[in-house]
Amino acid sequence: MNNRLKVLRAERDWSQQDLADRLGVSRQSVNAIEKGRYDPSLPLAFTIAELFGLPIEAIFSRD
Amino acid sequence: MTGGTASAGVLGRGPLFWGGLMLASYLVVAALGTTGAVEGAPLYILVILPFALVLPMITAANRRSDARSGGCGAKGEAQRRYMKRVAVFTFLYLVVLGIMTFAVKQGDVHPVLRTFLALLPGLAVVGIFWSVGRLIVEEQDEFLRMLVIRQSLIATGFAMCAASVWGFLESADVVQHLDAYYWAVAWFFGLGIGAVANRLRYGTWGAI
Repeated sequence: MNNRLKVLRAERDWSQQDLADRLGVSRQSVNAIEKGRYDPSLPLAFTIAELFGLPIEAIFSRD
Repeated sequence: MTGGTASAGVLGRGPLFWGGLMLASYLVVAALGTTGAVEGAPLYILVILPFALVLPMITAANRRSDARSGGCGAKGEAQRRYMKRVAVFTFLYLVVLGIMTFAVKQGDVHPVLRTFLALLPGLAVVGIFWSVGRLIVEEQDEFLRMLVIRQSLIATGFAMCAASVWGFLESADVVQHLDAYYWAVAWFFGLGIGAVANRLRYGTWGAI
């Protein structure tokens, strides 16, 4: 899956650690998701979408 | 806890201090053992005792990690509990292994007591397996939990494959006999392989 997490984070001037703290996950998790190495679970994807105020499909897309 | 208190470590000392103290203690013990100044049971006790310093070392490392990240994103609670449990069970393992070794050497130990003592080191190792299981249950970060599970599966595969191959080679008298507890050692070695696999696939070593 592709995602716009890095762009959305940069728009808000958040570091990976900032985003991780807001999501309640580790910085490694954010890094792995951003780089497309790990696809988050549906609950975590919903949490990410809610945090950015966007629908899931506006953040994550198929390859 | 404030950053100032957290950065103080344990008794005002950081992890390097406690690690260095443990290393220095072992060097002294090694010198005592090598020169023959201390022998037998007292030497074994001296070998075990410095390992207790791993507890303040872990605590100080955790506090420093908290201080550096402002209390956010530091090593998770589940990982802290895991490290403490492993340290405690490893310490217990060394203690009961020493007791069992000396008791068996006596030769005239009652079979029931001998069985009881022989069970203890194995149970201490079971405690370490239990600690890994609790880490998987308690870890709230799904990515880190996945890494631990992946690491454990790789370790299990490695240990089972090694045990199967070695067992048949042993049956054919190609290799020497290995006591079964070495497969637990193989599993722990497999955790290291799992950590490397995690690093290659996900860019991080994982939580254990």
